[in-house]
Amino acid sequence: MPNVIVVAIDIGGTFTDLIGFDTQGQRFLQAKSLTTPSNLVQGIIDCLNKSGLQIGDIAELIHGSTTAINTLIERKGAKTGLIVTRGTRDVYAIGRGNRPESYNLFFQRPKPLVSRALTREINGRLLASGDEHEALDPASLAAAIETLNAEGVEAVAVCLLHSYVNPTHERLVGEAVSKAMPDAYLSLSHEILREYREYERMSTTVVNAYIGPKVGGYVSNLESNLEKIGFKGNLSIMRSNGGVMTPGVAFRRPVAMMESGPVGGIIASARFGQTLGITDAISFDMGGTTAKASLVKDGQPTLAPGYYVGGYASGHPVMLPMIDVVEVGAGGGSIAWIDEIGALKVGPTSAGAAPGPICYRGGGTEPTITDANVVLGRLDPDNFLGGTMKLDAEGARAGVERVISGPLGMDVIAAAKAIVDIGVLKMSLAVREVSVEKGYDPRDFALVASGGAGPLHVMAIARELYIPRVIIPLFPSHFSALGMLLADERHDFVRTFYADLSRLNFEDLLATHAEMAAEARGSLRYQGEAELQTQLDIRYVGQEFTLSVPVERAQLDASHRQDIRQAFDALYEHRYSHSSPDEQVEVVSIRVAAVGKRTPLAFPAVAAGGAAKPARLREVYLDDTTKPVLCPVYEREQLPAGAHFDGPAIVQEHGTTTVMFVGDSCTVAATGELIITVGGVA
Amino acid sequence: MSSRLDPVTLEVIRNALPAIANEMAADLQRTSYNMMIYEVRDFCTALLAPNGDLVSQNVGGVSHFVADLGVIVADGMKRYGAEGFKPGDVIITNHQAVAGQHLNNIVIYMPYFFQGELLMFAMVRAHWIDIGGMSTGFGAGPTVADPWQEGLQLDQIKIYEEGKLDEKMYRVLRDNIRFPESSLGDMKSQMAACRLGTRRLDELLTKYGKDIVLNGISHIFDETEQKCRNVVARLPDGVYEANGSLDDDGLIKDDPVKLHAKVTVKDGHMVIDLSGCSGERKAAINSRTLAGARVAYKALTAPLEPVNEGSFRALDVIIPEGNIMMARFPAPMSGWSAVVPTVVDTIVAALAPAMPDRVPAGHHGLLGGAMVFFGNHPQTGKRFVVQSLEGGGWGGRPMEDGESGTVSVCQGDVRNGSIEGIELKCPVLVEARAMRADSCGAGKYRGGLGLDVRVRNLVEGRWNFEHTKRQNCPPWGLWNGKAGEFGGYLMRLPGEQDFTPMRGAHVAVPIGSEAIVRTGGGGGWGDPLERDPKAVQHDVAEEFISAEAALCDYGVVLTAGHKLDLEATNQRRASMKAK
Repeated sequence: MPNVIVVAIDIGGTFTDLIGFDTQGQRFLQAKSLTTPSNLVQGIIDCLNKSGLQIGDIAELIHGSTTAINTLIERKGAKTGLIVTRGTRDVYAIGRGNRPESYNLFFQRPKPLVSRALTREINGRLLASGDEHEALDPASLAAAIETLNAEGVEAVAVCLLHSYVNPTHERLVGEAVSKAMPDAYLSLSHEILREYREYERMSTTVVNAYIGPKVGGYVSNLESNLEKIGFKGNLSIMRSNGGVMTPGVAFRRPVAMMESGPVGGIIASARFGQTLGITDAISFDMGGTTAKASLVKDGQPTLAPGYYVGGYASGHPVMLPMIDVVEVGAGGGSIAWIDEIGALKVGPTSAGAAPGPICYRGGGTEPTITDANVVLGRLDPDNFLGGTMKLDAEGARAGVERVISGPLGMDVIAAAKAIVDIGVLKMSLAVREVSVEKGYDPRDFALVASGGAGPLHVMAIARELYIPRVIIPLFPSHFSALGMLLADERHDFVRTFYADLSRLNFEDLLATHAEMAAEARGSLRYQGEAELQTQLDIRYVGQEFTLSVPVERAQLDASHRQDIRQAFDALYEHRYSHSSPDEQVEVVSIRVAAVGKRTPLAFPAVAAGGAAKPARLREVYLDDTTKPVLCPVYEREQLPAGAHFDGPAIVQEHGTTTVMFVGDSCTVAATGELIITVGGVA
Repeated sequence: MSSRLDPVTLEVIRNALPAIANEMAADLQRTSYNMMIYEVRDFCTALLAPNGDLVSQNVGGVSHFVADLGVIVADGMKRYGAEGFKPGDVIITNHQAVAGQHLNNIVIYMPYFFQGELLMFAMVRAHWIDIGGMSTGFGAGPTVADPWQEGLQLDQIKIYEEGKLDEKMYRVLRDNIRFPESSLGDMKSQMAACRLGTRRLDELLTKYGKDIVLNGISHIFDETEQKCRNVVARLPDGVYEANGSLDDDGLIKDDPVKLHAKVTVKDGHMVIDLSGCSGERKAAINSRTLAGARVAYKALTAPLEPVNEGSFRALDVIIPEGNIMMARFPAPMSGWSAVVPTVVDTIVAALAPAMPDRVPAGHHGLLGGAMVFFGNHPQTGKRFVVQSLEGGGWGGRPMEDGESGTVSVCQGDVRNGSIEGIELKCPVLVEARAMRADSCGAGKYRGGLGLDVRVRNLVEGRWNFEHTKRQNCPPWGLWNGKAGEFGGYLMRLPGEQDFTPMRGAHVAVPIGSEAIVRTGGGGGWGDPLERDPKAVQHDVAEEFISAEAALCDYGVVLTAGHKLDLEATNQRRASMKAK
């Protein structure tokens, strides 16, 4: 058997994480380096070099990155132009005209990524049927292109009315733009999303164009740099729907990797939860800049059909399926500060990777949550990242003193604890939002902690929300990367296909299906193992919203109207507790998901036997800020399966530290996870 | 089980109750048959106690439905008594003597019993696309003389009794509305949403017990009240007043509908007195509603918090019987909500001196621009109705410009019809949905822009045009900002050169006519001469305002290519100020 090494690299706000699995040697490899915002690709190369891997041995490299979302949120995308149908110049800015915050007199609409001056109308019009009402006018097109060219536009988005049903005009526009502006990045709406509702399609297309040059360039740059250092395997890019894609697809659809970072941890939470028999879990991931929470119910991550980058009320719609995540601006790097009325605040500003927390010695001067943990002794300055990075404890303490405890006239330990407690409260809100606010009682769930700072704070959050059980998985600080190792290749395609089911022409439907299947397969690398999932979006005539009804290809071949009809009624009954089998139904769109199955990885079990033995004792401040507790410190790698120990305790491992309080009680699972029951709650 | 409230249980209850209402709303929206529900979100879902207390209500729907179902419950209890409700009952009502809104707003509700005791009601009010009578769509126009012309009046009728459908009642409904499959489909969705609400309530009650839940609810009411009081307590005590008006009531010209708000603030308590507003009218713009006062109060106290009975405990609203907003049956109400946004704005404007940092200039103030075009499709023979609500400009704010093309203060998560969606279902072309340059009021922070939405009909049909309401009282400026431009409707028949203003319901138009739904712009905040000249330059480059407006309203001089002549600008501004 050949030596197959699969590697995942996840770029977070602060750290770049690497995890590899050697299928023959049955061993994991890991490495971590500081994210290099000015040159992310270099950070990846650094991390690979650090891992000690032979680059040539890597069969597949899976990559997730925050570069797409950061480009949008920091508004550092390309100068973008937009070409639209006559009369729809303001559709992008007007949106749906709604105010989701009904009573807020100061509500904010999303800030357009394209100016009105760079939005150009062209003549030519299609009807909803796809028939041409007015031919495309080359003169108006040429004028639009000339303006955009003269303005030095770097990316062009095109969204014409009804292009989802007939893309001919859009293709013609695309050809003309490519010819006149060969260097401009081009996004045609029908290639991004073939669904009706022009505003949502336009926004998704504009986002794709806006981030395209930077993110597309990043992907190509990564590909060529990997090649230079001898990488011969496959490169896959993580996408927001929980699957992966090839660099080619990522280059054309960078918008699909918008949330590629956090989804890995959620996939991993679902998979590992299942092996432990836990089907309902909350995935909690805390890194350097943000904390993220997501709900796993019945063993499955929750998927949203689309989302709004920056929030529903004022964000940019991106109508592509993604895993549902709630994020708050609190991470290890969140800066503590004092506001104008003298109140202690933490975040949302983060020291990020550069300059980073004071204790990282990267030039940071403002105290962060991480610095506070060092002051409390919860983080061991001599044992950070396996001792490879020595933390500046004195600096951290001086920083907390200068900025917080001095001005507030309080004890430095008490100030450090206040910083951590405020951070914990903020993060609890994210966990609350995915559970309590959706009507779920967090007491029925297990909290799976990951990220470099997750295990450090998770027990306090669990206690805050009365969550009885906490799981610290293997490789918590590489958890998102670990999940990426497990992700299949996945592409979702949707097309509006509007027809009354009783009169639906199955030949037409099959033709569309075949086109979509070919497109879906064409973007797959793992074609041999490909699984094609088809769904029809169906509704009762007169309704707007649809249900996605899974159908088999054979049903379409045999024109099984009645089967499909019954499946829809049954699904409707299940979802809404009523149905109308006598009413007409219509098909609105067809969805095809192509899933390329990757070879599943079999991870090794942890050796059993023996009791947990602390490696040493360390003084740590827990609840009492006047007196440190002498805490046993366990080395995670030395903990055998079945071992049991109680808090107070510290579990030290490469990349993270778990802090257990008095009353907490931990058992090591056969597969190595720490299962902790929360004192005073369980 | 003890009824002691631990903080986590309280937190669960606090979040679960609005979550139930929101889940009901999501269900209704996803299963509804009419765009007034699934796009316009012209509905509310709520849980109420038998005494009429609002336990929770969905977030994001139409603002003027805020906490307005209590009167229905109180009336229902009076009719049937606590003993008169049985599991499986479904009540339908829209009668104006109590509900006080147009008849399209149909309330469906169900009693919820816990261990045999009537504990709550789950309710859904939703706008049906048709309720019979002389018009369809958004409701009949202002010329409707009485409720009988407007449509079917349903007065606390049990459409289901103990789970059994009243077949005769159902047939009467079906045979007297134009789109029975739509409206009766919506009725089914409303019932399903209520059923979901009672199921979720049951889960909550079963888990925590009656005492804990009711105790939690009363605790939450108290907290909500206190939060609102705290905000009002920070305002200087005093009496604050403002005026507004609508041009006319749509029936009698040159007789403005006067609006007046008198707000008294004392020790954290607020009294909003609307006695100075017009008396009830022959035109159908009457209502029985506290919405104007409540929306304003909510926006100024706790805009982002969920609503419950505690939200309005520290507010008294005075509206005498016979007022346009406390009209007596059978005063016609088909255009019931038309005055509400302007009333809200008037109350908000009254409080500007008390809270200058939290009050924007006036907004377009219309529930429109309603787009309503209907007819029979010649090919399919089916009726169709085109509907959309177009937003307008909002007033400038103490630190930034107002938003453009956004729905009124009475509408929340109300979405316009997508052009592709409209054209997919109806034989029209939406030829433009565009911002109108110079429609915004000038100011240090200018108002947002109003829209022109142009529709061409591909088959014959009829338009409903509302009358112009704010021509004489356009969206006002604040602190020397200028007023925004008012909205209206225009029409161009085939062969005509120009668009001409239109009003009137059921206006028949030939194939190929074009109508414009025009919405107003927002008022400006602060003196336009204090606006950053670069911001003015940018507005001209983006074609939000003309170079002429830059010169005349803002005193900003631009040369060729929109270059800023700062020296000339300073001179011009100085001389304008001197005048």
